[in-house]
Amino acid sequence: MQTEIKIKNKNYHIDIAEMAEGLLKVKVNNRNYFFAKNKSGELVSVDPKLYANGVELEENGFVYDGLAEKEIKSPIAGIISSIDVKKGSKVKSGQRVATLIAMKMENEIIVETAGVVKEVKIKEKQFVNSNEILIILE
Amino acid sequence: MEKFKTISSTNQKAKELAQEGAEPWTIIVAEEQKAGYGKEKVSWFSPNGGLYFSIILPKSQIEDLQTLTILAAFIVAKTIKDTFSLEPLIKLPNDVLIKQKKVAGILTENIIGKEIKNSIIGIGLNSNIDEFPRELEKSATSLKIELGREVDNEKILEMIIKGLKEQLKTISQ
Repeated sequence: MQTEIKIKNKNYHIDIAEMAEGLLKVKVNNRNYFFAKNKSGELVSVDPKLYANGVELEENGFVYDGLAEKEIKSPIAGIISSIDVKKGSKVKSGQRVATLIAMKMENEIIVETAGVVKEVKIKEKQFVNSNEILIILE
Repeated sequence: MEKFKTISSTNQKAKELAQEGAEPWTIIVAEEQKAGYGKEKVSWFSPNGGLYFSIILPKSQIEDLQTLTILAAFIVAKTIKDTFSLEPLIKLPNDVLIKQKKVAGILTENIIGKEIKNSIIGIGLNSNIDEFPRELEKSATSLKIELGREVDNEKILEMIIKGLKEQLKTISQ
């Protein structure tokens, strides 16, 4: 299904296709987004690499997840012991981006969406509060 | 339980297996670690003779995991005290000492996205280690050095696992 929408004087070409059972690809201009129903029946953005064979993947192996969380936040207060990415780094879902020492444990912070690092807002040895933004993805 | 003669790091292997969907309480044991590490990736001397293992933990709250790390040190110290009549001290939260020298270390690692994905706890115990490199001689000891005899690694492992499971029954699945 194809359609055109206009938001704030900008036109968007939308193409929606079912890639596999329960998996939708929504192409907005030239960028693909994938959605599937979660256990609660809500339509959520997903990484199609998790799905069965036969699902078309992006050529470069990365899927840009349009609705995913763009801000990677600290889950708890602690000290940043290492940072694994820099501005411009491509990250895959599940990839470690930083390690936080907190509550006497080592906590590897991973991204749950693929993307490109737009900004790293932390430095090594820096103290961060819970819910503080660590990294922003494009 | 997965046993290895040699491994890079039991914690590293446990993290990999956890991400591949291994069940909670899967235990990875190695006779030797080539790249064993402790807090902040500081190298952990891991030759043949020592006891090195990691456990994939059930999904838990971060506060419970912190408690677990402390409990693990307590259980290791208690096992040493009860079994060998030695006098270990806990240097919270990661180390167990005998005569001010490190005999065991504990490292809990969590993988966190929007929520805690996986947690593992690794324990390195200097059991049947004859000697340490010169740079560690003043800061590390082993049960064999302290007792003048070998100990049964399998039995110690069994006791620690039993202790952990008993203490951690309240951790949410």
